[in-house]
Amino acid sequence: MLILTRKSGEQIAIGDDIVINFLEIKGTQVKVGIEAPRHITVHRQEVYERVREENMAAASMTATELSLASEFYSHINTRKEEET
Amino acid sequence: MKIKTTRFGEITLNDDQVIHMPHGMLGFPDSQRFVIIQNKENSPFLWYQSLDDPDLAFVITNPYLFMPDYNPQLKDGVTQMNWQMDGKGFLKTLEVYVVVNIPRGAPEKMTGNFMGPLVINPLCRQGLQVILSDGGYFHKTHLIFQMTEKGQGEDSEDKVGV
Repeated sequence: MLILTRKSGEQIAIGDDIVINFLEIKGTQVKVGIEAPRHITVHRQEVYERVREENMAAASMTATELSLASEFYSHINTRKEEET
Repeated sequence: MKIKTTRFGEITLNDDQVIHMPHGMLGFPDSQRFVIIQNKENSPFLWYQSLDDPDLAFVITNPYLFMPDYNPQLKDGVTQMNWQMDGKGFLKTLEVYVVVNIPRGAPEKMTGNFMGPLVINPLCRQGLQVILSDGGYFHKTHLIFQMTEKGQGEDSEDKVGV
């Protein structure tokens, strides 16, 4: 891993078309601005991880689980329709 | 073509049923071709079966059944995929699904990942899992809670306390 030290207001260039701006440093927080082509996706790592972990968990679903869920859904739906 | 799957055995499908996902589903970059398989009549749930990995299938559903005012920001995804925006109604032609997680033996606790919707462009049969960083949507939205609670569309994160 390349490790660089930067001051507030300084930048890092990645390749020809990505620039990271270190806008503000306050205590333990850093405000970062990212300039990148629109086809490059930029996300907070934890958001990316959450979606990925949900996918991992969802990928092992079996037909049994789904039919239980379908039944449960119909049950709730019928009850909702009766109420209205 | 004929495809082998773990859950459904060998299935036969036409080329025009295949959905191409150049980036795959998050965490599964090697599976890039999928097909939607109807689970049961009158069930809101569908299977999203990989054609590249017989084992890999997700349960997906229509998010609007559970959150009628769901409004994911899809423009960045459209740009990323280089989909041509033909007129104002284009975004409405996209199909939107969420991946469902059903805990074993506890269907009442099933959740939908509203933070990472699956978006399909039916015109070119391409798909993308979009990550919504700032939309206020949660990755574990309780589906039954959404159905039963009168105040639909509220952020379930606060109430469920996860």
